[in-house]
Amino acid sequence: MDMNLFIDRVLAAAKAAGIETAEVYCVTGENFRASAMDGEINQYQVSASAGLSLRGTVQGKMGYSATQAFDEAAITQLVEGVKESAALVETKEQDEIFQGDESYPELPEEESDLKDVTPEQKLEMCLAMEKAAKDADPRIWKVQRAMVSTSSSTVTIRNSYGLNLTDSGTMCMAYAAPIAKEGDKTATGGWMATGFRFADLNPVAIGVKAAEETVCQLGGSPVPGGEYRIILRFDAMQSLLQTFCGIFSAENAQQNMSLLGGKEGTVIGSPAVTLMDDPLLPGGHGSQRFDAEGSASRTKAVIDAGVLTTLLHSRKTARKQGVASTGNASRASYTAPVRVAPTNLYFKAGEKSLEALMADVGEGLVITDLAGLHSGANPTSGDFSLLSKGYTIEGGQRGRAVEQITIAGNFYEVLKNIVAFADDLDFSMGSIVSPSVDIGTLKVSG
Amino acid sequence: MLDQNIAREVLQEAVRTGGDFAEIFVEDRIDNSLVMRSHRIETVNTGRIHGAGVRVFSGVNAVYVHTNDTSREGLMACARQAAAAIKGGSGCIVQPFHAWNAARPEEILLLPTDVKAALKAEKLHAAEAAARAVSPEIVQVMASYIDHVQDVCICNTEGVFVTDRRVRTRLSVNAIASNGTENQTGSDNPGASMGFEIFDHLIDPENVGRTAANQAVTMLHAPICPAGYMPVVIDNGFGGVIFHEACGHSLEATSVSVGVSEFSGKLGQQIASPVVTAIDDGTIVNSWGMLHVDDEGTPTQRTVLVENGILRNYMIDRLGARRMGMPITGSSRRQSYAFAPTSRMRSTFIAPGQDDEAEMIATMGDGLYAKKMGGGSVNPATGEFNFAVNEGYLVKDGKIAHPVRGASLIGRGSEVLLKIDRVGRDLQLAQGMCGSISGSVPTDVGQPMIRVSGLTVGGR
Repeated sequence: MDMNLFIDRVLAAAKAAGIETAEVYCVTGENFRASAMDGEINQYQVSASAGLSLRGTVQGKMGYSATQAFDEAAITQLVEGVKESAALVETKEQDEIFQGDESYPELPEEESDLKDVTPEQKLEMCLAMEKAAKDADPRIWKVQRAMVSTSSSTVTIRNSYGLNLTDSGTMCMAYAAPIAKEGDKTATGGWMATGFRFADLNPVAIGVKAAEETVCQLGGSPVPGGEYRIILRFDAMQSLLQTFCGIFSAENAQQNMSLLGGKEGTVIGSPAVTLMDDPLLPGGHGSQRFDAEGSASRTKAVIDAGVLTTLLHSRKTARKQGVASTGNASRASYTAPVRVAPTNLYFKAGEKSLEALMADVGEGLVITDLAGLHSGANPTSGDFSLLSKGYTIEGGQRGRAVEQITIAGNFYEVLKNIVAFADDLDFSMGSIVSPSVDIGTLKVSG
Repeated sequence: MLDQNIAREVLQEAVRTGGDFAEIFVEDRIDNSLVMRSHRIETVNTGRIHGAGVRVFSGVNAVYVHTNDTSREGLMACARQAAAAIKGGSGCIVQPFHAWNAARPEEILLLPTDVKAALKAEKLHAAEAAARAVSPEIVQVMASYIDHVQDVCICNTEGVFVTDRRVRTRLSVNAIASNGTENQTGSDNPGASMGFEIFDHLIDPENVGRTAANQAVTMLHAPICPAGYMPVVIDNGFGGVIFHEACGHSLEATSVSVGVSEFSGKLGQQIASPVVTAIDDGTIVNSWGMLHVDDEGTPTQRTVLVENGILRNYMIDRLGARRMGMPITGSSRRQSYAFAPTSRMRSTFIAPGQDDEAEMIATMGDGLYAKKMGGGSVNPATGEFNFAVNEGYLVKDGKIAHPVRGASLIGRGSEVLLKIDRVGRDLQLAQGMCGSISGSVPTDVGQPMIRVSGLTVGGR
């Protein structure tokens, strides 16, 4: 069935059933993923998917329902689901469907070359990447994943006020994860690159970098437990920010799940810290013209030189606090309710290279990998205690490989103790990114 | 949900270019969820997952194509796309179907899709009120209820044609205790392959709420765990996550069959202390991790992985079996049709031993008693694991001294298994969601209380 026709019928059925205001949120997409091992393609996956959610108000209360089937039964299920759901919701704050903003920003058109790329070219890229990783160093024993994936997706919001918004995007990603062996020692590592254009991905460069990242971990060992000056490399800080970014959500603050409630205008970080949320970033992974409630996107500083300027808001959380939405309403998938999330969230880069930060530090550790963030880091308390890998800094220079240690601290304290960010901010790494950063001293156990 | 004639036609199309095996997986699933926060039911959501996937093998190469369009045309399009990606092979003939239904409706007394959401909401109210009543320091309670009814049909070129229904229900409470400047959390998340009768038989919502709240309050008043290398006693139930992470994932064919697991090629060898016997069992009726048939249509089974410390078996799916030349173990799983299936855990546990729980702590000297574990993760190639201790106590001279927070445990699977020196008698299972390449699937972890003679404890 044509999706627009189906949406027409869902909205009509919602109106007929007494749902006062209604909105359809629909995500369609195509995905391709393949991976090579030992010179052969060992994984190959293709999909086309569509999912649709109806939300709507009955007596001012919001109900939700979703489907991946687009038949008569689905229309009944959506409408009845919203009614039953709305009848049970007990929240006092009125939730509403948005009529829409007067105007929406335009994002620079990204010229995608995906339609001209054949599956064979993607498979060749997997094989080339695997070969490059293996050839880069004799100690590379195997490449456990040499993966290429491409995806395109379209988000549509249509509602009973006639709002009709559409945003489309594509993404290409390549990732290599080698295993290195030397004697009885084994090490794993990996490297990823992304781009809007398939032609931007360089399989040989990714393979070689992945091999480098892996081999340098060989022969790693713990350091004695104690206090260490720590630099988190950009990818380690990225995973920490991804884990703790929920503390900047006004929704979490209003629900006592973040300690930043009411801290707007106060100092929560060192002067080196400026944190941006920029949905209009050209080429950003999280760039969007509108958010999940249909609010127009806009750029803002969340932390400006250490001062918390704003939390991230949806219309619902903004109304509760008497402020304007920051355009950060978000749905984790079409089935998920509207919550608050960052778009392109990043710490502003400093002026020095990572090497210069290491020289400033003198003696300490560079952490390149944090494991177990879903369990070893508590987004509510800010506490973390994480299995870490990296290398020592000795006399300001890179020293030996380090593994089987934990670093432990608290994210709120880390923000206050940040000494300096490096200049290596790279937006191709994801929607939430960071430069490498000197975070001062932390407790290490080894 | 799938016509046999259409299925035959689709399978024939899928192996037309030389594939030697093809499979269709069709799924129709209803998910219900209710979330309560700040004293009120916040969202009530119902969702329908609907789609199908076609998988084709040629030797050890596999192609998977999936779609939401389960019409004949949609499935044929998948088959054509999959066949186009297969480059030659011996081909195969579609065998006559032996159609059967693996569903066991007698295991479910009250199908959750037949229960009004208002009754589900009552359970959340009960859990939240009990949690709030524990202490004024409880500043937030998030309680959620989920259920799903998943209908599947799985058929393949070897004549399998099986339908099944999987039903699960779970209650989850997360409580936050705060003194204004610090937050600590506690949680409890019991679930089972049961319908709404779970609340008559297994789950007391008030108890779940109190457990979560007590943990949060205890941790709020606990000092931070010191770092170091020390003996660790891990309690039963969710403590079993140590075997799940330190060993279980590395015994899945996903990593074993391609030789990247640290346990590859070690069948018959001693990989654990002789007090350790470990089992992955899909047959425990009503357990959270149980199956009737796995997601390749194979009846599930009980698989002894480690017996008195000796490695006996792996968890093996169809593709892994081809690579390894070993029989499949009925443990191939996937989150949904949107994932190709692979070998996964079901209900995985360390079997009961002979040791006395009180003696274990009394003779450990100085160390950590991990009463409630959090989640963790593992790198199967190196065996490096980590997990969080959600509720821990410092032990001094064989006596439990005081609670500590923020601890994590790290190590290597092959080392920690050999260091288990005590296994208690009281086995308990606990429920979790396990994430891996075929998505997030419900699994049980479990064990009696055990002791590890030394582990690196991360703290401050």
